[in-house]
Amino acid sequence: MQQSSTQPATRPRLDVERIELANGLVVLLSENHATPSVAFKAVVAAGSRYETDDKAGLASLVGEMIDEGTTTRSAQQIAETVEAVGGKLGTYGDYQESGVVAMFLSQDLALGLEIAADLLMNATFPEDKVQQQRDRRLAQLKSRLDVPRTQASDVFNDLVFRGTPQHRPSVGYDATVKNLTRDDMVAFYRRFYAPNITLLAIVGDIDKATARAQVEAAFGAWPVASELALPDVPKPVRQREAIEQFVTAHKEQINIFIGHVGIERRNPDYYRLLVLDTILGSSPGFTSRIPRILRDEMGLAYTTYSNITSSAGVDPGRFVAYIGTSPDNLTLALAGLRHEIARIVNEPVTSQEVEMARDYLTGSFVFHFQKNLQIADFLADAETYALGFDYLERYPELIHAVTVEDVSRMAQSYIDPEHLTTVVVGPLAERQ
Amino acid sequence: MIMTSLITPADQPALATAEAESFLTRGVEKTVLANGLTVITKELHDKPVVASIIWYRVGSRNEELGQTGKSHFLEHMLFKGTEKYGKGEIDLLTLKNGGANNAFTWLDFTAYYFTFASDRWQAALEIEADRMRNTTFAEAEFESEKQVVEEELRIGLDGPWEVLENEVWATAFRQHPYHWPTVGWLDDLESATGADMKAYYDKWYHPRNATLVIVGDFDTDETLARVEALFAEIPAGPNAQPLRITEPPQRGEKRIVVKKETPVERLLIGFHAPPVAHTDAYVLQVIESILSTGRSSRLYQRLVERDQSVTSASANFHDHIDPSLFYFKAEIKPGFALQGVEQAIYDELERLKHEPVAEAELDKARRQIEADLVMSHEEPLQQAMLLGQFETIASDERIPVAGRGYHYLGTLIARIRAVAAQDIQRVAEQYFTADNRTVGYLIDTEKEQAIAAV
Repeated sequence: MQQSSTQPATRPRLDVERIELANGLVVLLSENHATPSVAFKAVVAAGSRYETDDKAGLASLVGEMIDEGTTTRSAQQIAETVEAVGGKLGTYGDYQESGVVAMFLSQDLALGLEIAADLLMNATFPEDKVQQQRDRRLAQLKSRLDVPRTQASDVFNDLVFRGTPQHRPSVGYDATVKNLTRDDMVAFYRRFYAPNITLLAIVGDIDKATARAQVEAAFGAWPVASELALPDVPKPVRQREAIEQFVTAHKEQINIFIGHVGIERRNPDYYRLLVLDTILGSSPGFTSRIPRILRDEMGLAYTTYSNITSSAGVDPGRFVAYIGTSPDNLTLALAGLRHEIARIVNEPVTSQEVEMARDYLTGSFVFHFQKNLQIADFLADAETYALGFDYLERYPELIHAVTVEDVSRMAQSYIDPEHLTTVVVGPLAERQ
Repeated sequence: MIMTSLITPADQPALATAEAESFLTRGVEKTVLANGLTVITKELHDKPVVASIIWYRVGSRNEELGQTGKSHFLEHMLFKGTEKYGKGEIDLLTLKNGGANNAFTWLDFTAYYFTFASDRWQAALEIEADRMRNTTFAEAEFESEKQVVEEELRIGLDGPWEVLENEVWATAFRQHPYHWPTVGWLDDLESATGADMKAYYDKWYHPRNATLVIVGDFDTDETLARVEALFAEIPAGPNAQPLRITEPPQRGEKRIVVKKETPVERLLIGFHAPPVAHTDAYVLQVIESILSTGRSSRLYQRLVERDQSVTSASANFHDHIDPSLFYFKAEIKPGFALQGVEQAIYDELERLKHEPVAEAELDKARRQIEADLVMSHEEPLQQAMLLGQFETIASDERIPVAGRGYHYLGTLIARIRAVAAQDIQRVAEQYFTADNRTVGYLIDTEKEQAIAAV
């Protein structure tokens, strides 16, 4: 391709309006008239990081239960109202946040907002639905472990994040979910579902002034929680020893996770680490080192990668390298991943690698802003991590400033090849 | 990448019919080069990106027993290099230019795509023009990629559904190539040779068997000139004919049990169903929506809400060149019996046959299909995929010209809106019969299961 790397990348443009209602709800609006539809996302800044070990699964169940009935609508009425106009609406509770995600044709935005506000303000957690969703969750917990990659990831998190809420899967455990009561759910909902820790991002075929009025009508009466005190969450500490755990599962492949504690999204080194990720294990096709060598050259796997930035959130995420391969390849795969992890720490990367990674990150930035929901996700992140709405201008500069020395310094500071957690799940019976 | 499902067609509610219909096909231009290459273009200037995707009308449907999986394996080999672009160079070009690329293979087709910013997208054309005929098939690359494909197959076998799906399709289709999965059978993959692959490539990868779709921020005239310059000199290629295999009518219910170590039991029921653009296929799309789109759908209300016997249940119907399956999937909650869930699904199908669907429910299903068509195709790439898919699979002469090829999408909404309550009863009566179905149970290895007659 003739493209020179000095040519500026095509930059996305966003016209964002931020308002704050009297009750503290932050509203972010952006118009995109590409299709006659709109997406919105209401994000409550509370999730399983605020629950205790003995209540594991609570935030997630609450998130799933808010559309199971409100003071004025039954679960079925909620579903019928949304679906009769062809809308889609889902509710969730995960590690860091909870809320509502929805897509509607633009003409139905007011209806969608009214329903979302009802779920966030007036959910009733009917006893029969609590029972039903708890039973369903218990079955889902069993079925979830039927995916060996998920099982391996859970074991990895349990070791790496020991002592913090991140060691648990947000969906909880059989033993804890069984004991969750309606009272637990109502208490969590009353405490945390409050406008002053919620943001609402609306993107699509809207008129901002009209949308503002619709938001005011739907959410204006949500009372502020003036007494709201948020729990302290212990931060994970990077391990000082090497840890290995092998788990036998009767499967075709072994699934391997290697890594340790990663970084917070607000870490100023985030951008330098994006370049490191692109060089080591996350880039298109098989250009970064781990997929190029372990998949394209050695033929060991269909899926193999590494990253540290993609799990960065309010709390530190994880640095992780993954491979799924046949049991015969266990030794080669482990050695291959460990070798590449050590190499990027011990040897400088090339200037060509850095240049290509920078070009990729700046050139592909525009693709993060293609769909309404993607843009809404960005607006929510921009608010949560105080990125500033001039981020679209600043991002290319932040990436272009990264040097070969920066990448080496990043590897040495944030990756410790001597003290890694290694988890292997698969058909290992013969080995042990 | 193997496709096991695709975005199902659908557009939007209370908009005027003309507007809704034109959402995907508005501004589309079709050009056919002298060598038979079909080019579909659609300018969209609201975002500075261009998606390009080339479709070959070849998939596992075109394979023969003993050599299954070739279409998909070939897809992998098209990233392994030509004289002009050595191994890894396609990905490097994509990286440097901040783009994305990938490919996928399914029963009826193989497709390769790129997305780039609009100031640098034309490399995609150069790559596709080159690798259509110049892929090198180096033996060393072939052997290491074989291992990669086998790992891809194993991921599927470790997943919750694939083993059961493979058995149900293999049982429902005993003659037609939908009998085997797109990834192929492991033994066939192991015995495949580079020469087999090259012969298959030489048979199917030619302009006359390809459709190039470009959607996004570009100038059509300029782009067509570039396409002409790059592709026109490639010979049209042999007029390869697909196997004409018709699956004979099924003469009675087929039942299978698959054992695997599993914490939950799973159910899959497939009914033989008509091909793309068949009159009844539109009705089945509406039935799929009534039964399974959203929490107000009948299967959710019956199985999740009322019986509380499953963690999830769905009805699924996809458009294919040849008759395929309309199938049901359910994951059973511990403590409930497969037979009970199976019977509940049949009860819901009997209801469809005997009670006309109320107008409000029918209207909801139509709106869901239409709205989804808008909401699931915001990106140029998504639109390019849909246009190319139907240009590739809906090309048969049995389909009226007005709705053939990508025009299928221009008539879809009207066809969906025309589905009436009595059509649903008639179609349910015709297809959802015991003789026409294949029922698969996935149970745990340790479990001895008596299969009760239903």
